[in-house]
Amino acid sequence: MLRRTRAGGSFIAVARGVAWRNLHNHFSHPMYFVPSLVFPLLFFTAFTGALGALTNVRGFDFEAGYEGFQYVFVLIQTAAFGGVFTGFAIARDFETGFARRLLLAAPNRKGIIAGYAIAALGRWVFTAVIVTGVAFAAGMTVPAGPGVLPLYALALLINGAGILFASGVAMRLRTVQAGPLMQTPVFLALFLAPVYVPLAVLEGWIHSIARYNPVTAFLEAGRGFLVGRPSGVGLAFGLAVALLLAFGVWALRGLRNAETSG
Amino acid sequence: MGDRHGIEVSQLVREFPKGPRAIDGIDLQVAPGEVYGFLGPNGAGKSTTVLVLTTLLPPTSGTARVAGHDVVREGHLVRAAIGAALQEAALDPLLTAREHMRLQTTLHGLSRADRKRRGDELLERVGLVEAADRRVGGYSGGMKRRLDLGLALVHRPSILFLDEPTTGLDPQSRTALWDEVSRLTREDGVTVFLTTQYLEEADALAHRVGIIDRGRIVAEGTPRALKDEIGRPSVEVVPANDGDRDAVAAVLGKFGESVPGLNQSVAVRMRGGESELAEVVRALDAAGLSVAQLRLHAPTLDDVFLEKTGRSLEGATTELGEGTS
Repeated sequence: MLRRTRAGGSFIAVARGVAWRNLHNHFSHPMYFVPSLVFPLLFFTAFTGALGALTNVRGFDFEAGYEGFQYVFVLIQTAAFGGVFTGFAIARDFETGFARRLLLAAPNRKGIIAGYAIAALGRWVFTAVIVTGVAFAAGMTVPAGPGVLPLYALALLINGAGILFASGVAMRLRTVQAGPLMQTPVFLALFLAPVYVPLAVLEGWIHSIARYNPVTAFLEAGRGFLVGRPSGVGLAFGLAVALLLAFGVWALRGLRNAETSG
Repeated sequence: MGDRHGIEVSQLVREFPKGPRAIDGIDLQVAPGEVYGFLGPNGAGKSTTVLVLTTLLPPTSGTARVAGHDVVREGHLVRAAIGAALQEAALDPLLTAREHMRLQTTLHGLSRADRKRRGDELLERVGLVEAADRRVGGYSGGMKRRLDLGLALVHRPSILFLDEPTTGLDPQSRTALWDEVSRLTREDGVTVFLTTQYLEEADALAHRVGIIDRGRIVAEGTPRALKDEIGRPSVEVVPANDGDRDAVAAVLGKFGESVPGLNQSVAVRMRGGESELAEVVRALDAAGLSVAQLRLHAPTLDDVFLEKTGRSLEGATTELGEGTS
């Protein structure tokens, strides 16, 4: 007689199984693990090294230094792209047929999305801790205040939204060829924001776009946390939660689409 | 395993957008503990039927109950009661067999102690103990199939779906898998729904066979009953000279109706049964025709298929689309 856990074949059991497999594969295989760590570090060192002189631009006043200014962007970028890469993993599982194993074995299929999401969050936390360590080692200073923890909370929500957006795309198209559809919108949203200099310093069309880009709210709130003068926190968290909910519905409908497509 | 329901399907239809009806109103019943062989060529609708019955694809219309549960409204209960090894063994090449067991037992919510015990038990049962800690990316086709079968059994399903489980396997692996399927029904009382395009597989394993063609079941019964229905044997003659084919066909035509033969041969289903064989030989001799080979065939499931559809099962090709069969 087989005994089932309290979660027996439920949402939690399915989420646990899917998360375990994704985390196991990620941390056991350098081909997954290394790029996810190297790219954010490369961005961080390249931006801070090559563009550090931007702090001399009039109107650029950030107490945590250019390292801190870029750290916030890189952290949010890793959170958003962490979600996109989860979409790639889901699409790959559909393409190879492995997703059928999950759909067949999972009494509660919503647990599949949750499992991918938990794994993505786990991967992102690991990357974020390393990036934070490197930022401090590179000379980032954090004045007294809430520091990086609320920034982490905001980035977690962004990571979740990214996962759900990319999951929705992946489950509808079920091919890694959908990669550009997952990547491009996130890439555009990130880079049409005040990445290198504050919003006030931007001019022309990029300023107009950045003003209404939700990523700007994330960056400004995050940079505010870092220097102990949070601003626009409600807007940033509100937008992040709204995206999370909207993409949650998008992902669940994507799952329904995958369920009916065989 | 306490569930003693089988499979009940009524007027099941599955259409694909802009495509044909992959399943066109099939009815079937599989009793608990029975091995049901679903036989048909590529594209006949076998795999689509399995996808619907395993809740991987909703039907367009009709009803299907598996293990007593409706596949549309009670999909989660169906999935808890069934195991399935589909056409392509869906394995992660980066995981070992033991890790696959861990994943599958976790998905089914087995307790920690049972996860390990059941995983070890099944690895032994499918003969993968020695390879258990190797990544499955390096496994042979037969090993992957065996692992897939083992994974389908982790939660002791009452119904097992096997979609062309031996396609591409060497004879030894095929026989080993047949033995395991037989043991599952004999010792564990598992109901097996087996799709295959191999006649001998259906003959060897199935208690009953359903023959599907172009989405419709064209014949159903025990392999013996289906063959008895055809009844008459056929005689197949390969003339010594290629140019004698028409003359041989004319002689054989006196003994029965023409049926497809292999390559250079001429074949007829004998009206008078095998007792007329001596007459056939004498008629060929009297006509001065030299014969390279002469074979008498007892009725096979292929003959049943031929009788019901006008085509031979072996070599029949798909005309249906959507990448499923």
